[in-house]
Amino acid sequence: MSAVEVQSLRKIYGNLTALDGITFQVGEGEIFGLIGPNGAGKTTCLRIVASLIRPTSGSVKVFGRDVVRQDAEVRRIISYLPEEAGAYRNFSGEEYLEFIASFYASDNAERQKMVDEAFHVTGLGERLRDRVGTYSKGMTRRLLIARALGVTPKLAILDEPTGGLDVIHAFHIRNIIKDYATHYGVSVLLSSHNMLEVEYLCQRIALIDGGHIVAEGSPSELKAKYGAQNLEEVFMSATSHE
Amino acid sequence: MNSLITLFWKELRELLRDRKTLFGIIVVPLLLYPLMGAGINVSRSSVEQAVARATIAVMDLDGSPESQSLTLFLTMKVRVKPLQRQSVVEALPSLSEGNYSALILIPQGYGQNLSQGLQACLTVYALLRDLSAVETSRTTTANVLLAAYENALVVERVQGLLANSPLQGLNATSILNPVHVSYSSVLRGKAVDVDPSQLLNIVISQSTFPLIIMVMLILAMQVAATSIALEKEEKTLETLLTLPIGRLTILTGKLAGSVALAGISAIAYLVGFSYYIGSVTGLSSLSGISQADLQALGLLPSPAMYILMGFTIFITVISALALAVSLAVFADNVRSAQSLVGILFIPIMMPALILMFADIGILPSYLQWILYAFPYTHTLLAVKAIFIGDLPVILRSIAYIAVFTIIVLYVAAKIFTTEKVITGRLFARRSRSGK
Repeated sequence: MSAVEVQSLRKIYGNLTALDGITFQVGEGEIFGLIGPNGAGKTTCLRIVASLIRPTSGSVKVFGRDVVRQDAEVRRIISYLPEEAGAYRNFSGEEYLEFIASFYASDNAERQKMVDEAFHVTGLGERLRDRVGTYSKGMTRRLLIARALGVTPKLAILDEPTGGLDVIHAFHIRNIIKDYATHYGVSVLLSSHNMLEVEYLCQRIALIDGGHIVAEGSPSELKAKYGAQNLEEVFMSATSHE
Repeated sequence: MNSLITLFWKELRELLRDRKTLFGIIVVPLLLYPLMGAGINVSRSSVEQAVARATIAVMDLDGSPESQSLTLFLTMKVRVKPLQRQSVVEALPSLSEGNYSALILIPQGYGQNLSQGLQACLTVYALLRDLSAVETSRTTTANVLLAAYENALVVERVQGLLANSPLQGLNATSILNPVHVSYSSVLRGKAVDVDPSQLLNIVISQSTFPLIIMVMLILAMQVAATSIALEKEEKTLETLLTLPIGRLTILTGKLAGSVALAGISAIAYLVGFSYYIGSVTGLSSLSGISQADLQALGLLPSPAMYILMGFTIFITVISALALAVSLAVFADNVRSAQSLVGILFIPIMMPALILMFADIGILPSYLQWILYAFPYTHTLLAVKAIFIGDLPVILRSIAYIAVFTIIVLYVAAKIFTTEKVITGRLFARRSRSGK
């Protein structure tokens, strides 16, 4: 079964077509990347998969569940990290992890296990006992990644997971994502601007521009297809921006 | 249910730990009114102390037994400084330096006039340093004392006259005050032996009660709007909405958290306000009026009426919160959310201010209909009716508020269960293509 199945997805805001009939699939345990410039439609697509907003037409299924008709079921098996996400600044990092885990765990023992896991993933150590409001941007992002993956969802939807982070924090977060996909079989649908990151993390990618998918395949397949040295060249060729 | 409890505690913790929220809705009402009251208390006690410390200078140019009797009377009441015989013009400069409130000049012939049954004269020089309340109170002390002395003289004279007349045996007081008035208060046909002026506190508490409810309502709305706006401002709303919790559970959790916080805030407000009222009126308790008197006047609602009042306030608060949440969804941050909610303060406060001083029945009919159209007018009418046990008005008002609450809750739920909660903006910026 596919982790994500997007079929002829359209989203229109007033006079604006954000997504114009895109189709793609994400396999189980796969890391799939949506790559495109600002305003290409990546965030809209991820929000629809996360059941936050409704499609104008087309269908989206997560592990066979329709995101419109079975949104409550979808939310039980996904975890979504928005691009510009924050955590409750008056909570400590630990309290925040406990708060999130309490919605996924069936009992206290399971909740504690999730918190411990996330505690380890953040790599923030004792700073987790401090108020989130005192964290740097990188620390907050690590907390949020740990929140998203620590509950071991079937599908993690990550919008620009390392956006705006320095090399050290970005490196740490990329390793966490890869680790969860490899060891826990978590399927990942992510968006990114960073072509190196995408090449390192994703088994397959879709290039999106102006609400259309212009190319799809593994990074090596796409480079071969477009005779390109890297994904940046692929993107420029595929979108005819050269 | 567990999710709801978790959300409820999260709301409380998040809001109570937010210094701005905590300060604005709990610390300010808790401190503002007591501070105002304390200010009034301090100035009042300053006046009292200044009056008590004041010294009255007496210049006795008469030296008669009558003038000495007056000086003795004054000495028994306040500090008195006898002055040597000199001219007043010479004496005044030295008096302006000490703590003197007045100079009483007893002229020559004072005692003689009195003993002959003629009118005797005194001159009081009020010694003012400035024109503050303290100064004017200090200078009235001499007047009050002289009036008391004069009254005693009158009683003595009348008693003397009575002793040598056919009315011998009559009391001078009954001659001077032939009519004694005792007061009863009659409210809606029920009478008790209470001076209506003693009902002042009840009148104040009843007339300010609607205002307190409306202020509480506004506080609750600010809390609810802040709660939603904080989620947007801190970028936590999207995450919250993708957690495995129903949207209505999230909405209920927010409303419950806001109700609880508004309750805490209302208590802080009431504590502060009652202290303030006590300070202002100098009547911190209903002195002179027994519970039985209140019961007889119908001013003590029954337990059933209190339950109705609680229910009325509860559904009113819920509707206000749902309104605030519905509006705050369209704001990007706390400041714009509070501005949006601020629009609602006018229709909330207007009925409260009007009905604080007037009964709706005496208003012009067009104003009555305008007020009847505002849902929160009915909360005020219900609360007023509860105090006097007018059941038809209570039920009619509760029905109106209940219907309004259901409609507003439906709208809030509708907004919350659609993508409007994410995409909604009242002053929408043009979205970038495709984002």
